[in-house]
Amino acid sequence: MSDFLQAYLTVAVFGGTAGLLIAGVLGLGRLIRPSRPNPDKLTTYESGVDPVGSGFSQSQVRYYIFALLFVLFDVEAVFIFPWAVGLETYSYFGLVEMGIFVFILVLGLVYAWRKGVLRWV
Amino acid sequence: MLAAAFSRPEIDYHAFAPEIVLVGALLLILVVDLLFEDRARWATSTLAGLGLLGALVPILTLAVDGGDRSMFGGAYVVDNFALVLKALFLIGGYLTVLISTDYIGEGDYYEGEYYFMLLSSLLGMLVIASARDLISIFIALETLSIPAYLLAGWRKRDLKGNEASLKYYLLGVFASGVMLYGMSLIFGVTHSTVLTVIGERLAGGGASVPIVTVGILFVIIGFAFKVSAVPFHAWAPDTYEGAPTPITAYLSVASKAAGFVALLSLVFIAFEGRSDVWQPLFWVLSALTMTVGNVIALRQTNVIRLLAYSSVAQAGYMLAPFAVAGHTGVNQAVESVVTYLLVYLAMNIGAFAVVMAVARKTRSGELSSFGGLFEYAPGLTVLTSIFFFALAGIPPLGGWYAKLVIFRTLLDQPTVWSVVLAVLVGVNSAIGLYYYASVARETWMRPVPDEDRTPISVPSSLAAAIGLCAIATLAIGVVPQIVARFAHLAPFGS
Repeated sequence: MSDFLQAYLTVAVFGGTAGLLIAGVLGLGRLIRPSRPNPDKLTTYESGVDPVGSGFSQSQVRYYIFALLFVLFDVEAVFIFPWAVGLETYSYFGLVEMGIFVFILVLGLVYAWRKGVLRWV
Repeated sequence: MLAAAFSRPEIDYHAFAPEIVLVGALLLILVVDLLFEDRARWATSTLAGLGLLGALVPILTLAVDGGDRSMFGGAYVVDNFALVLKALFLIGGYLTVLISTDYIGEGDYYEGEYYFMLLSSLLGMLVIASARDLISIFIALETLSIPAYLLAGWRKRDLKGNEASLKYYLLGVFASGVMLYGMSLIFGVTHSTVLTVIGERLAGGGASVPIVTVGILFVIIGFAFKVSAVPFHAWAPDTYEGAPTPITAYLSVASKAAGFVALLSLVFIAFEGRSDVWQPLFWVLSALTMTVGNVIALRQTNVIRLLAYSSVAQAGYMLAPFAVAGHTGVNQAVESVVTYLLVYLAMNIGAFAVVMAVARKTRSGELSSFGGLFEYAPGLTVLTSIFFFALAGIPPLGGWYAKLVIFRTLLDQPTVWSVVLAVLVGVNSAIGLYYYASVARETWMRPVPDEDRTPISVPSSLAAAIGLCAIATLAIGVVPQIVARFAHLAPFGS
């Protein structure tokens, strides 16, 4: 049992260090910084334009869909660039593998197209 | 330069065949759904079922062929352990498709996408059964989790559905983060991601730096979320209640089994030499999980929530063999966990399926809505009793064998701690019997709440799922050798 307690002493030390680190950094900041409260400091953008309207305004969902589609191509590009550089050494094996990869991603694009996501309504 | 060092990896396509069949099936579902839209909606569930059965064929041929296959430097291993569990996931997936067909077809749901997501999630499970490398385990875990987050929120116009999905997603991602941190610490100490290599280096003593404890702890906590062990179970009841019922069945069986599979291979291959760290941890997790799960289940008035807490409690029983594995040896622990998972698959999906069948008429999951079920649906009443008493572990039904195996493992080489845990399992089984039996009492003895005695029509696929689960539950109870044989094969290959 003492082996166990000894092993888990690490966990306690680990947790304690994490707590101390946060307390230390925040405490140090508190000691060093000057404290001059001012109502202006509590505004949303302290030196910017005053916010207008409610914080719960809705934004267009279609931007979100475009962002998702962007990720589709982004991931594709991340893999295609290094693959293209080394294509000669990968030979036909690499070509077929990339073909399968692109095919699956293209299915995703076809899906988006058929569901009318590409139309700006 | 770098590219010049490329050598084509050896790929054993036979070993990958189940995964390839499944990928083919899920792409086909997507294409069929896109090409035919509403005209072929019914076809998607059929295709999903056929794809899952098709993926079982290469598993059979691999099993007949025998021999362990290892790829990518030991990161992907197809041995008997992997094959038994892949078969479990595929059968669990097939039963889920059976109980989903009418539920999803009748509601206001996206159908093609549903089966696409379900099969994607199952693909992750097939991979996790073979993954013997930290990175492939993590990738497989994400592949099975991300579709599951979406499926949990499939009732998208329902606030409870949104809550289910959001809670599951946030806690799941948090758990993944904790687990990744642990994995990175272990990688930092052992300089390897392959489990067998980690196992050698941790056991060798050369890598017995104190920080290993933190790494092991974090990895196990990450999976404790996945198998909903107390105190990491908070998401489970709300997610189970808000998710579509077939998905609840799927999460409580297949997804939980996937968590256990990853725990088995991580703990018994990679961390085997450090049983001083994980054995007490699993003892505490197991004792807490079964006790808290059972005690809270006592107070539930909703059958789905009752089953949710019951599945938390059942996870506690399954964690128990881990707590003694350092003494009794790894093989017996793996065997008993796999046995429990196999039995649990049949009885728990069965229990959810009968609840779904009754809810088709009553439109409610409240315990009181089961009142007087015997007066208008005697067949379903008998089946309800079969599954709930099986979960409680009453002898002629499947559950007793699973419990027996757990007891046998705990008491094989008794220490004080393992005997105390065995007593806890016993006490908890008694508590469990009370609430499982209270469902049976409701169906046999209580009056019909609204005097509505129209018979329940059970669609054929749901009936087939209930029938298969009932036959399996009874057969395992009477001839436990069926499961014992497979579980005996399961321990890890070389």
